[in-house]
Amino acid sequence: MSEWTNSPFFGVAVSVAAFWIGVKLQKKTGLVVCNPLLVGVILTVGLLLALDIPYEHYDQGGSLINLFLSPATACLAVAIYSKVQLLKENWLPILVGCVVGSLVSMGSVLGLCRLFGLDEAMTASLLPKSVTTPIAVSVAQAHGGIPSITVVAVILTGILGSILAPLLIRLFRVKDPIAAGLSIGACSHAVGTSKALELGETEGAMSGLAIGVCGLVTVIFSLVLL
Amino acid sequence: MKLLCQFGVIFGVCWVSQILESLLPVPFPASVIGMVLLFALLATGVLKLEHVREKADFLLANMAFFFLPAGVNAMNYFDLLGSALVPLLVICLATTVLVFGATALSIKLTLRLMGRGKGHV
Repeated sequence: MSEWTNSPFFGVAVSVAAFWIGVKLQKKTGLVVCNPLLVGVILTVGLLLALDIPYEHYDQGGSLINLFLSPATACLAVAIYSKVQLLKENWLPILVGCVVGSLVSMGSVLGLCRLFGLDEAMTASLLPKSVTTPIAVSVAQAHGGIPSITVVAVILTGILGSILAPLLIRLFRVKDPIAAGLSIGACSHAVGTSKALELGETEGAMSGLAIGVCGLVTVIFSLVLL
Repeated sequence: MKLLCQFGVIFGVCWVSQILESLLPVPFPASVIGMVLLFALLATGVLKLEHVREKADFLLANMAFFFLPAGVNAMNYFDLLGSALVPLLVICLATTVLVFGATALSIKLTLRLMGRGKGHV
């Protein structure tokens, strides 16, 4: 068995299959908790543990998939550029919202980590957790965090954000679609954006813009603050 | 050939970003440099949307998948994650509410100061 899995094709094939099951499961159940990435990770880890397959075998394929993270992040620029008109018309609220959101996010994570007595590596891993995964991972890595912890925290935050979004909109009496979209994007990045798209086109577009702008603002603040 | 070229353009931008990252004195992530660079190239008209569109759509639509290996890597940190599970959940929940509230209120205030959104804020 172990010589069979010792190939980059194994990791890629297993990852795609696990993710595909996750996508199908979410479509079928309609539950935010059945996030395809979360389901895919759980299935893959389960398979590796159940069949006692070495992580190193999986990672030959895994690192190939990893290679696409940076190009995918860069392509957020294309998503922002296609909404450049919206960005121009609303630059002030977008800027204010994303700066405040990013600052509150990093500040509150820092405060809570200190409160719980978490160590530096854990704190650095959690600090950028409200922004989209590729940016969060890069920021965590640059400051001594553990990327895979960041990924877990980012997914958790995204799922919580999209579950809570309708509730939070009522709680904070957000009636403006611009404010609603930006707030969802600022606290729960891409996972939240899919929820924002369900609420409306403006909400979705604003949430998408917030992903890129908050990511950028978080990188800049992490340079100044850390 | 079109897709192949788009592939080359996007990976080329990433490569240049990596070089820029190594030249910068501060830890500014290459992927974010790539985002800024690609936006600048589009905004200045050096690149047109059709030079990157299909490939970008492919990468953006499947964004979550590319994180799967990073998530699987968490299995090497089970002990650490298990020991910090409760703080992790509390931090994620509390900050989500705080960030949403802070962002929403600051935008409401901005829109009000701009004199927009009167009557429905």
